[in-house]
Amino acid sequence: MKNKENILLDIKDLHVWYRVYGGYLKVLNGVHLMVREGERVGLVGEAGCGKTTTMKSILQILPPGDFHIPQGQIFYKGQDVLKMSFKELQRLRSREVAMIFQDPTTALNPVFIIGTQIGDVIKYSSAFEENEHKETIKEQSIKALKEVYLPDPERMRINYPFQLSGGMRQRVCIAMAISSPRNLLIADEPGTSLDVTIQDQIMRLLNEIVEKRKTSIILITHSLGVAKEMTDRIYVMYAGTIVETATPEVLFKNPVHPYTKGLLASVPKISGGGIAKGIPGKLPSYLNPPSGCRFQPRCEQESPICSEKPPQLFEIEKDHLVACNLTQR
Amino acid sequence: MKQATNNEILKIEKLKKYFHIGKDKKGPIYVRAVDGVDLNIKYGETLGLVGESGSGKSTIAYTVVGMYRPTSGQILFKGKNIGMEASRRSLSSKKEIQIVFQDPGSSLNPRQTIEQILALPFRIHTHMPKRQFREKMVELLEKVELSPDYLYKSPPSIGGGEKQMVAVARAMASNPSLIVLDEPTSALDVSVQAKIINKLMDLQKEMHLTYLFITHDLSLMRNVANRIAIMYLGKICEVAEAVTFFEKPLHPYTQMLISSVPVITEEEKKLKPKKVISIGEIPSPVNIPPGCSFHLRCPYKMSICSKVDPEMIEVSSGHIVRCHLFAKLENKKQERSDWCEEESAIY
Amino acid sequence: MINSNLPNNSIAISLVKPKSIFWLNLGKNWYRFSRNTLSIVGLVIVAGLIISAIFAPWITPYPEHAGPFVDFDNTGQSPSLQHLCGTDNMGRDIFSRIIFAFRGALIMAVVVLAIAVPPGVLLGLTAGYFQNTWIDAVIMRITDIFLSVPPLILALAIAAMLKPTLMNAMIAVTVMWWPWYTRLVYGMASSVSNEYFVIAADLTGASKFHILFREILPNCLSPVFTKMALDVGWVILIGASLSFVGLGEQPPIPALGQMVSDGSRYMPTFWWMTIFPALAIVLAILGFNLLGDGLRDMFEKGVE
Repeated sequence: MKNKENILLDIKDLHVWYRVYGGYLKVLNGVHLMVREGERVGLVGEAGCGKTTTMKSILQILPPGDFHIPQGQIFYKGQDVLKMSFKELQRLRSREVAMIFQDPTTALNPVFIIGTQIGDVIKYSSAFEENEHKETIKEQSIKALKEVYLPDPERMRINYPFQLSGGMRQRVCIAMAISSPRNLLIADEPGTSLDVTIQDQIMRLLNEIVEKRKTSIILITHSLGVAKEMTDRIYVMYAGTIVETATPEVLFKNPVHPYTKGLLASVPKISGGGIAKGIPGKLPSYLNPPSGCRFQPRCEQESPICSEKPPQLFEIEKDHLVACNLTQR
Repeated sequence: MKQATNNEILKIEKLKKYFHIGKDKKGPIYVRAVDGVDLNIKYGETLGLVGESGSGKSTIAYTVVGMYRPTSGQILFKGKNIGMEASRRSLSSKKEIQIVFQDPGSSLNPRQTIEQILALPFRIHTHMPKRQFREKMVELLEKVELSPDYLYKSPPSIGGGEKQMVAVARAMASNPSLIVLDEPTSALDVSVQAKIINKLMDLQKEMHLTYLFITHDLSLMRNVANRIAIMYLGKICEVAEAVTFFEKPLHPYTQMLISSVPVITEEEKKLKPKKVISIGEIPSPVNIPPGCSFHLRCPYKMSICSKVDPEMIEVSSGHIVRCHLFAKLENKKQERSDWCEEESAIY
Repeated sequence: MINSNLPNNSIAISLVKPKSIFWLNLGKNWYRFSRNTLSIVGLVIVAGLIISAIFAPWITPYPEHAGPFVDFDNTGQSPSLQHLCGTDNMGRDIFSRIIFAFRGALIMAVVVLAIAVPPGVLLGLTAGYFQNTWIDAVIMRITDIFLSVPPLILALAIAAMLKPTLMNAMIAVTVMWWPWYTRLVYGMASSVSNEYFVIAADLTGASKFHILFREILPNCLSPVFTKMALDVGWVILIGASLSFVGLGEQPPIPALGQMVSDGSRYMPTFWWMTIFPALAIVLAILGFNLLGDGLRDMFEKGVE
């Protein structure tokens, strides 16, 4: 029984460090993210800000040995993922959470037919139930392909990925993700490498699936327009921290954080008006990140407190949180 | 063979580029990437070329620059024919036309320093002694807002936006007149894009450049281009001034594309044409349907559309469309009465 | 337009910056190399081999045993503190002879690679850039012919045709070594040729020479260096195989394979006469393999 009030995923103060020559890249610096059941959450930020790292931390698929999590917790249904045993993690990855990767071409194995790949997902995700008959796996994979509106699923099953177009491959990836019931989907920029009309189709498909099954979804994108149309709540991320979060209506009407404001101003509009100057400067070095607020070197507003204290997220109005030292109201 | 008028820096006529990819029983198979394109660019303007993958926009760019040899048709640059591969062009053509590629990661040699990358066009196109290179390079880097110590950096150690700025600097190094920009910011974030586009616009005014700007991002195009041409499967569907293009799109494909752009503000929402659901996949340029190449996806398809390929029709000054719906300016066609009903249906 | 101070600053920068960038790159490369401890082990072994080979006359206990020397009183001594690897059937100290044998082996490896690699790389580079033209076809088919002959047999045949000397053994091995580099570089060069930075250089009017040697070649060299490090071990092995059957360095100059062969007659009683030279070959190959793996890690393009 899905209840919109129940919290499904709760990331608290996540710090992730990556070991390199010269020290550690302190990629994530206190990420707070929360997803309720049946909710569509958007994660917006530029390349290199840590979105994919956060998502990979949820599934614990960061490369071992190089990554170090000094503090933070990721609660999934009340249980801390970072403390889960291997078997519990297996269960998480095969039954609870599914990830749809950015580039469908590299997400699919080029030497196996689609049917085998979807079949594998179904096989492993039902490993925690009693064994299914082989025919059922085939039927299930055809059913999954039908759900994503791939034409002629029986014939599509025996195709190799290279025989499909980019849009079709992305649909196959989505089919793999929904082939068994999941509670959380993570879609990492699902339409970026595709044409805009096909991207539109993929987004509408995702929307339909999420509505029909009441699955929660975390949608990573750097397109604010997509985030507006496809999400219930948006998190804006910069340099490993969440700087602002609100519903799309509130966020676009009343952005508070200077980064959000700069980002919104940089988006070109089809009604014309030229393009704003963008945000001066660039992402800080993660090796020696600025102390205090990480956006401070690029921020127009300056204040000594900004380089001392890293800002915390706090609520300035209902469901609208900002992490900025200068907006204490 | 028409001559270019004085204010046209580039004139493309009936350009075709076919790629031979094999044979079947009926004969050789071609990918008809560019299938009869007429286009001109005026001095100092930014012409935007829009289309999905397979539309041929990149092929046109690459043929203009000299990567491909045209299968037929001609390209006139400042009145001179340049319809040949770069290796057979004159040095001055190579100097005058430059290109910025889409992927900053692969357009700069990862094993060279920025100094070496910028030295190449200086060495080839100017007669400066080597000692003066450094001065000029620093000047160039300043123009794109990069500090002089970037000269010693290597592409892998700098970010995507900065790499693209280096690519722009490299294009400017030979002092060109025409720069082709093939999706220069598609791989970059919105804030970085804003910075680069602004820089490009400033540099265009400062150095009197003409741009052929290719992108699939319509909202970017609106703010960058003076005129916009939209392509589908190797042919141009519509050409118009930027404002007209968005306020009065005529071709069904144009409407389809504009209606699928995700927008944020209310004013943009009002501007979008009513939602045209795109049906099906993009057909491949190998199997181009007969008649109008768009008819399989067109919601306003008429019977003539599957038989006859439409001509380019000038609807108003500077606004041309290739669609049977607007054939009223043509000689008698049987479907003219149908057209009247169709036109009211669009608006 | 430009700040009048700028040119001076930039010249000052040019005198300072490249040095610090050099050390930075060195540090980064060392970090990547040393991630795996085994690579350091390989480096130590190789360094040890090279140093002992160079300074052989001064660091071996019995340098004269590597020449015409016999001491029939001391034949067949088992390993002891005086003779770390024992003595052979002529009373010569095996340990010293092994060190001297490495001299020949390493010289052979260096000479073979120095002669075989440049033409191999050049041919592969040219064939890769002119892919799908007659140049590609000619070069690669010749390469295929050489590769189709079993390498050891080709080396044996050539060495047997010529007089058995170190020089001729080197020639034999060189002749069958270059095609591997051609094939390696061919693959890389053909894919690098399609990269946009090569196209950009071509479009702006760069000469073919520039494109081949300044744009494409630097991007093909990493696997070549790695392969060279690994190959030293394999050349040593092939050289040992040749000297095992009597081709190559002639007695009394020591050669590893020859020592293994000579000692095999006295197995199993005088086991040290064969085992130690064989172990020396294994050690050399192991060291160069580990070093090669480390180099491969170092050259791998990380995300940064």
